[in-house]
Amino acid sequence: MYVGQAIRRREDERFLRGRGRFVEDITLDQPIAHAAFVRSPHAHAAVTHVDTAQAAAMPGVLAVLTGADWTAAGHGEAEGVWPVKDMSGADSRTAYRPLICVDGVVRCVGEIVAMVVAEDRHQALDAAEAIEVAYEEKPANTITAGALDPDIPLVHPAFGTNEVMVTEHGLKEETEAALANAHHVTEVVVPTNRVTAASMEPRAYLGHYDRVNDRYTVWTTNQAPHIVRRYFTKSLHIPEHKLRVIAPDVGGGFGMKLYHYPEEGLVLWGAIVCDRPVRWVGTRSECLLGDTHARDHHTVGRMGFDENGKILGVKFETLAAFGAYESQWQASITNAYHFTMLSLAYDIPAIHTQVRAVYTNATPVDAYRGAGRPEAVYQVERMIENGAQEMGIDPLELRARNLIPPEKFPYQTALGITYDSGDPPVLMGKIKALADYDALRAEQARLRAEGQWMGIGISAFFDMAGAGPVKMMNDLGAKVGCYDVASVRVHPDGRITVFAGSHSHGQGHETTWSQIAADRLGCDIDHIDLVEGDTDRVPMGIGTWGSRSLSTAGMAVYTAADRVVAKAKRMAAHMMECAPEDLDLADGEFTVKGTDRKLSFAAVANASYHSGDRPSDLEIGLEETSFFDPADCTYPSAIHLCVVLVDPETCAVTLRNYWAVDDVGTVINPMVLHGQVHGGLVQGIGQALMEECAYDAESGQYLSGTFMDYAIPHAEDVPSFGLDAHFTRALGNPLGAKGAGESGTIGAPACICNGVIDALWHLGVRQITQPMTPKKIWRAIEDAKRTQH
Amino acid sequence: MKPPPFDYCCPDTLDEVLTLLAEHGEAAKVIAGGQSLVPMLNLRALHPGVLIDINRLPGLDHISLEDGQLRVGALARHKAVLESAAVSEASPLMALAYPYVSHGPIRNRGTLCGNLCHNDPASEMPAVALASGAEMVLQSAGGTRTVAAEDFFTGMLSTAAEANEILVEVRVPRAPAGQGAGFHEVSPRKGDFAYVAVGATLQVADGACTGARIVCAGVGDGPHRAYAAEDALTGAAPGDDAFRQAAAAAADSIDPSEDFHADADYRRDLVRSLTRRALADAASRCN
Repeated sequence: MYVGQAIRRREDERFLRGRGRFVEDITLDQPIAHAAFVRSPHAHAAVTHVDTAQAAAMPGVLAVLTGADWTAAGHGEAEGVWPVKDMSGADSRTAYRPLICVDGVVRCVGEIVAMVVAEDRHQALDAAEAIEVAYEEKPANTITAGALDPDIPLVHPAFGTNEVMVTEHGLKEETEAALANAHHVTEVVVPTNRVTAASMEPRAYLGHYDRVNDRYTVWTTNQAPHIVRRYFTKSLHIPEHKLRVIAPDVGGGFGMKLYHYPEEGLVLWGAIVCDRPVRWVGTRSECLLGDTHARDHHTVGRMGFDENGKILGVKFETLAAFGAYESQWQASITNAYHFTMLSLAYDIPAIHTQVRAVYTNATPVDAYRGAGRPEAVYQVERMIENGAQEMGIDPLELRARNLIPPEKFPYQTALGITYDSGDPPVLMGKIKALADYDALRAEQARLRAEGQWMGIGISAFFDMAGAGPVKMMNDLGAKVGCYDVASVRVHPDGRITVFAGSHSHGQGHETTWSQIAADRLGCDIDHIDLVEGDTDRVPMGIGTWGSRSLSTAGMAVYTAADRVVAKAKRMAAHMMECAPEDLDLADGEFTVKGTDRKLSFAAVANASYHSGDRPSDLEIGLEETSFFDPADCTYPSAIHLCVVLVDPETCAVTLRNYWAVDDVGTVINPMVLHGQVHGGLVQGIGQALMEECAYDAESGQYLSGTFMDYAIPHAEDVPSFGLDAHFTRALGNPLGAKGAGESGTIGAPACICNGVIDALWHLGVRQITQPMTPKKIWRAIEDAKRTQH
Repeated sequence: MKPPPFDYCCPDTLDEVLTLLAEHGEAAKVIAGGQSLVPMLNLRALHPGVLIDINRLPGLDHISLEDGQLRVGALARHKAVLESAAVSEASPLMALAYPYVSHGPIRNRGTLCGNLCHNDPASEMPAVALASGAEMVLQSAGGTRTVAAEDFFTGMLSTAAEANEILVEVRVPRAPAGQGAGFHEVSPRKGDFAYVAVGATLQVADGACTGARIVCAGVGDGPHRAYAAEDALTGAAPGDDAFRQAAAAAADSIDPSEDFHADADYRRDLVRSLTRRALADAASRCN
């Protein structure tokens, strides 16, 4: 069995040797031209004049294109894959992100005003610098919290409001009643900081038009290449069958690379106009500004407890930033992934949530690793922590009293979602032992007596992973079917190519999909190759996002492989003159049960293609495809616990310990799982302690445009993680596997913030906005001192 | 690929460098490690006419201890300085501060002299140079002059070096026998530019502080020396009381800048706490 083994990743050889093939590495037989962009330096301005004459005359320049050219060519903008719908069910105030400014108004810093295509990148940049754009600045607002206040500038005046839509979910009356009758009510105001994925490989695109065959090709840093074709049907009006999308090796996506970014459409436009392939590779500054941002919720929450700390009800009012425009998957956060998961790992009888999505003059927000669930966990866990502290109940004990007990599974939350399986009390027991929790509390008391500030943070949650089923996700707003696809092609020599509609940009599918296929096919893993990321080679795919690929594409591999085996057994049975049911397949050989009669899989494969001696109703060939629609989402769960130390003078935070106990169902490869958990934790730690896409409140200027100002954790900023696991099987797929890609980012911000608050509670500190940088901690302590005196 | 167009020269001798500097003046930029210059070029924040690459010059990567002076040449990389026995022997303060200077890959390429010429206000080494009484050896076609650190750092990203001069060497006097040093910093991540850094040196004789130097980085438009705090210590018995008073004086002596990373009040309080810590460390290392 390969499944369950910590097999080394098969793709790492080429990555570690620098032999990966990324968009920037693609060579073509025609010389590739380069694009550069002129971007708005203002958060909100009228574009009164664009002078391209000087740029157009510069050396090497092939074309200078503006929004007027885009409009004249009849091009448009991509439609949402997960568009907004407000609670009335109506399409709400949609303003899709334009590829290039077409209406004479720029609404966020970085919006593209013009494109230069030139022979080389240097010439393109020089010419872009020579384009003169005249702006008339308008008042701007980049702040989510006040976006609906009177007198705040409107991002889209035609709507008459900055509100995109309102959604409400849960049990309104029951929640109001629970809060009214509660023994204790905790209220918090918790903004979730705006962050971005900061993938290792910047976004990059290469567009090519083959005029002879009337075929388009886009090489793209995208997580879902088949969906890219869908975007182009509306942006450049290219029919899906005319466009080949190739997502080669991609260095990290995290959700951020799911979308139709302006540059992706514009390079193909440039290629059509110039009759030359055109490439753009983002700089760090362009990407920190132009990659979708994430989170940026502003939430007021109230949670009611009985006298024993049992949660009776919880109510949320959230403003959710959209930024200046709607990105294609944006409402997957507000309408699918955020509200559904607000019960976390707790048995809460009454929950009500209202979300008002708002436009601001900032980069569009869309899904990033966790997408709505980090916000949900942060919002709920901050209330639980403060409630426990206020009631004088040990925070872990209060959580334990509220965990969903195993006998309640499948458990339907107050928001209507049903968790299929899980056992939170076991996770709690494991993490308590792993961290030696009682000893930590004793140490905390001892250190506090010495004037040292130590805090213990906890978070406990469920994740909704593995999107589909198709119907359920349609009901939650998805316009794309959330299934996935795999073909298993056995070649005549018995070797196998697997084609999958998922896309690996760090996940390690070449290893894990091969583990699944090799087990089903009874073959050596080295006899399997995987093809992903090419719409001309893979029949269809919905792509890799939302911890979904294992329970969709992975299961399509599983199912297609089983179909191959079933067909091969019929051929083998014919050749061995027995019944298919009498055959076992293992180690590359069919064996007649109870005998030593064997026939190699390769011989059967060869006969499947080349022998006329076969069952009369058995078609030639040995290849099967599965379009796998899972029976349910998967619901992985986890509990995190950390220890932070806060320097009493400098307020610098040291994250001393971090433990996580995960339930991800059946594990394909423990090493890959640990890699997923580690990477997610580090990104979550970044959100908690240092990462922030910040705007100047007055000018709307972007302050986080380089890695000097947007800090992501280094190895030395994170402790060695203590991981443990407990597995309950998912019920919606045959392997019992759940998703594992997002646990870290979902749980860590709340856990760490709770740790810092726990360290400072005795000083009167009740809330600190993330990221909890030293200056904010220092200020919170100063404020608390003043309040108390 | 990203910077604006510029001419590039890569001379083999210092004389050629000096000739080029004389010729191009303000239009020229000297590039050694390029760890500050290249990002500024890539952001198109600078548009120099010509880059003079000094990496081929022989004999400028020295780190030596001669005549009671630590001498570090224009091409000595941070990594070499950090690991140099001469530095830890001659300047314990520099040795203590060096681990805070940037990140490994940057230290492999960046130079101490380039770092001093860039004079980023949050940078550690200008403050160390100021505390240590370092001298800058500036050379031009017209000759050589030395400039004391206190005259060299003239403001935000600016120094007393003329457009036709190159900093060929920094000289740091050997720390007096018995002097103790301390250095503390708070930054977003280790190796990042400091919110605030404080370095201190201290000598003690007959139970009293006889000489103290206290310098801060990250608090203004360049390295800051807290004279009032130093004065407060002179003659005082080394100990927590004296260090707290000096720390308060140091905090009073600054008018810190306010930015996205840290506000003025926080920076002032950091100067207070880090000064006390640096002095306590320095005192513990006096002998």
